Amino acid sequence: MADTQMADKSKKNRLKSPYLLLLPALLFYLIFWFFPVLTSITESFTSNTGEIGLTNFQLMREDTLFLAALRNTLVFAGVSLILQFILALIVAVLINRKFKGNKLFLFIMLIPMALPQSAVGILWNTGLVESGWINSFLTTTGIQEVIQGLNLASGAMIWKNVSGLEAVFMLILIDTWTVMPSVMIIILAGLQNFNKEYQEAAQVFGATKFQAFRDIVIPIIKPSIVTALLLRLISGLQVWLIGVMIFGFNSVPFLVERIVYYTDKVRTGVNSYKLANAYSIFTLVIVFSVALIFVRMTKNKKRGGV
Amino acid sequence: MKNTIRRTLLYLVIVFISMMVLIPLSYLVSISFSSAAEINDYPKQMFPSFSHELAVTWDEENSYYILERKNNAGKYEELYMSSKFDRIQAYLETQLNVYVEEEDLEKDFVQAKELGQKIELTYRKSFFNNFIKFFTVFGGAEKALVNSIKAAVITIFISMSIGGLVGYALARTSIIGKEAISIGSLIVRMFPMVSISVPMAILLVKYGLYDSMLGLAIVYSIPNIGLTAAITRGIFMGVNKEFEEASMVFGATKLQTFRKITFPLVLPAFAASSMYAFITAWNDTAVSLLLTNKNETLALLIYKSIGGSSSIHYAASGAIVLIIPALAFTFLLKNYITQLWG
Amino acid sequence: MSYLTLENVKKVYNKNVTAVESFNLEIEDGEFIAFLGPSGCGKTTTLRMIAGLESVTEGDIKLEGKSIVNLEPRERGVSMIFQSYAVWPHMSVYDNVAYALKLKKLNKKEIDKIVQEVAKTADITQYLDRYPSQLSGGQRQRVAVARAIAVKPKLFLMDEPLSNLDAKLRVAMRTDLKRIHQEVASTSIFVTHDQAEALSLADRIVVMNHGVIEQIGSPREIYHDSETMFIAKFIGSPPSNFFHVEVKEKDKDIWLVHSEFELKFNGTEKETLLNQYVGKKIVLSVRPENIKIADEGIIETKALIIEPQGSHNIINTNIAGEEVKIVSDQFHLKEGDLIHIQFNENVLLFDMDTEKRIR
Repeated sequence: MADTQMADKSKKNRLKSPYLLLLPALLFYLIFWFFPVLTSITESFTSNTGEIGLTNFQLMREDTLFLAALRNTLVFAGVSLILQFILALIVAVLINRKFKGNKLFLFIMLIPMALPQSAVGILWNTGLVESGWINSFLTTTGIQEVIQGLNLASGAMIWKNVSGLEAVFMLILIDTWTVMPSVMIIILAGLQNFNKEYQEAAQVFGATKFQAFRDIVIPIIKPSIVTALLLRLISGLQVWLIGVMIFGFNSVPFLVERIVYYTDKVRTGVNSYKLANAYSIFTLVIVFSVALIFVRMTKNKKRGGV
Repeated sequence: MKNTIRRTLLYLVIVFISMMVLIPLSYLVSISFSSAAEINDYPKQMFPSFSHELAVTWDEENSYYILERKNNAGKYEELYMSSKFDRIQAYLETQLNVYVEEEDLEKDFVQAKELGQKIELTYRKSFFNNFIKFFTVFGGAEKALVNSIKAAVITIFISMSIGGLVGYALARTSIIGKEAISIGSLIVRMFPMVSISVPMAILLVKYGLYDSMLGLAIVYSIPNIGLTAAITRGIFMGVNKEFEEASMVFGATKLQTFRKITFPLVLPAFAASSMYAFITAWNDTAVSLLLTNKNETLALLIYKSIGGSSSIHYAASGAIVLIIPALAFTFLLKNYITQLWG
Repeated sequence: MSYLTLENVKKVYNKNVTAVESFNLEIEDGEFIAFLGPSGCGKTTTLRMIAGLESVTEGDIKLEGKSIVNLEPRERGVSMIFQSYAVWPHMSVYDNVAYALKLKKLNKKEIDKIVQEVAKTADITQYLDRYPSQLSGGQRQRVAVARAIAVKPKLFLMDEPLSNLDAKLRVAMRTDLKRIHQEVASTSIFVTHDQAEALSLADRIVVMNHGVIEQIGSPREIYHDSETMFIAKFIGSPPSNFFHVEVKEKDKDIWLVHSEFELKFNGTEKETLLNQYVGKKIVLSVRPENIKIADEGIIETKALIIEPQGSHNIINTNIAGEEVKIVSDQFHLKEGDLIHIQFNENVLLFDMDTEKRIR
């Protein structure tokens, strides 16, 4: 009799408490995320004169930098994703090999990821100016001479003197330096949690190390890779800060850079708030669609063969 | 034989890749230790210099001392001319980070006059000069530092308490699982923080939280609660339910069980999530840019100093201060970081 | 010329940990060999060296006369069943079995023929379209078997393939493995820590302990003619009983003297005892089934705990402070009964210092 009573009691406790424990979180997100998001969405469809419609998006389309921002954002997200994946894969595989000092190597590779954005901004700004450390490095190591000798340049390079897609590529390189570790970590975790016998079995049954890696290791750790890349893709589409720190506003536009510009820089403009909101919703749609496409593409063709 | 070639190749690749991370950082550190006179020097040094090589000549015609400094290209260049030692001392302090008493200066310099030729002197720089100056020269640096710490601590508190509860609830019940958190976190991430900054700002103003560290902490917690919930859920599930049940059979209440049994076991993961929360707050620039006015965080302060080339060495030292917590955190967690993500 | 030869194979880790010492073995084509021993004895390491998954520190391994120590696993013509089965989770059962054949560049028809063949042998035909996660442990194990025989290997290596199965399934799979070995006419090496498995499956058993081979022999030899005390203790369920006795000589007769009994000894070892062991202490090893309960015996003791096993009882007694087990079909005995026991002639003698057999 007493046993069943206790069992009933704990069952009741079990059912009630989870919802209680979840309540603070639900409230928090309701107030501090859901309502602002809702506000932002409704604002974007409300023009300055109060009518519901797409006027704000019209304004957005008419913004001279709109197309450039869209193009830059998509190129940045796509190219940096591929570059970061390849590098992260190589580094993760390297770290996974047993060698002396691989813990130290891991630590070094994690450092860029840990740096605050503004410190990264200072780091690269001091490097990219004409008398900065990048040119100093090239001069000190003699590479500068080689470059001039090969007639690739006539003097110290003015790195910041790039625009358009060239500038975007420069930002991709800088961003990769910072961000590659975060992809690497997830791939590394997948590799380290990987049952070695799967790979050994492949080798016994005829695969070279490369074939075993391609046919066995990668497909099995694919889920974690896909997650890492999806997160990176979303973040990549939301790039702005690194662009602003190196090139300032307006010179290399990105979608979110436009949002910040209209929110923070041009507060006095009559349309700026509306523009910011329109860009926000537009960005959201882009992010969502790209994410969807990505997930579709990487889904197993319903467990396809080797 | 084949093995040693492979090994050497491996090490070469690793060293090369490491250099790509370490060289830029080294330059940054070097700049953060530079004195004002050095920031225009070219080429920049990869390693910080801790002293200056100076040369003094007595100019008989003009009756003053000519002070020269060996620059990075190896040549002596003229810096300053004066006959007054108080002026020279001030110059050394502000431009070269060198602190010497007037009398000692006089003793050293006078040799140039007496010997009638150029003499070489080496003076040590004041080591932490830039870092100290950073907090005085940059208006509000000290306050910004305090602000950053405040925001970070509050973020930890909010994330851990709310997130921890969620993690525990999800671990101990089977209603919704990992997928719910993942999808939830994904949705939250898809909406750029900056987009909701204006409504968020309005909201914060309404609650009197605009331009406050509590306000920032709330925003920082938005992504962090999900992360904490995911981490703690994983750890709570690892804590064998039978430990808890045994405790309860032996008479402890649910709260006591949590305190004495469950919590100590999950402490390491809690520590890690706290650090993540701290770093989110400490490192952020974007949110504080949009949601504060006068109360800047340290990261924001550094951001604002980008572009100003006259005091780049102070900004660099500020950046170094900014980097330190994250670096320490990465070092502490490097062994566990794969478990967290796995 | 034997089929597989291991010559003085040695494996050392980190310059000071010796996992396998001077391993010498010759295996004939078609044999079913078991590597038997407790955890850490080096049996799996040796198997992996044969497979090419571990490097050989010293020594040579020859397959069909040709040295294979410098070949990659895939070049050796061996196949392997791993302890965790290592059935690839992202491929269907069909693809798992077919993978090796695809790598060999066989055409689709040939591959299909072979897969269907081995699926029949391993009894997994109905699972070919399924994925490993949908299968039970036993079924996955059979997939591993099918995959291994599909490549028609020169050598069939198995690393504790039955250890992860439940007791009943283990016994059933044992028979299946032997049957498959015969059907496919392969040469197999089977690693296990379960002595019953080794005894029932192998043509010859290699018993290992701490990296060293204790004995190589047929199950009969291992069981009845154990070379070392370790083997007598490790093999047999329940294991052999040991008595510490002193060798005494009286009128050219050998007596083995124990605190509880005196045994006149007439076995073939009598000469050796007379020449080397008089006055010394040795170990008398008697298996539980070789102890008879009779009306009269050399030892009188009490039946303390009786464990019924169905076809026989295990009777636990205590003789001079040592636990002694007896296998008996005297089902009428109860706990606490006084019994008289005798040893039959199947006793073994071991040197107390070397723990090796006295012959």
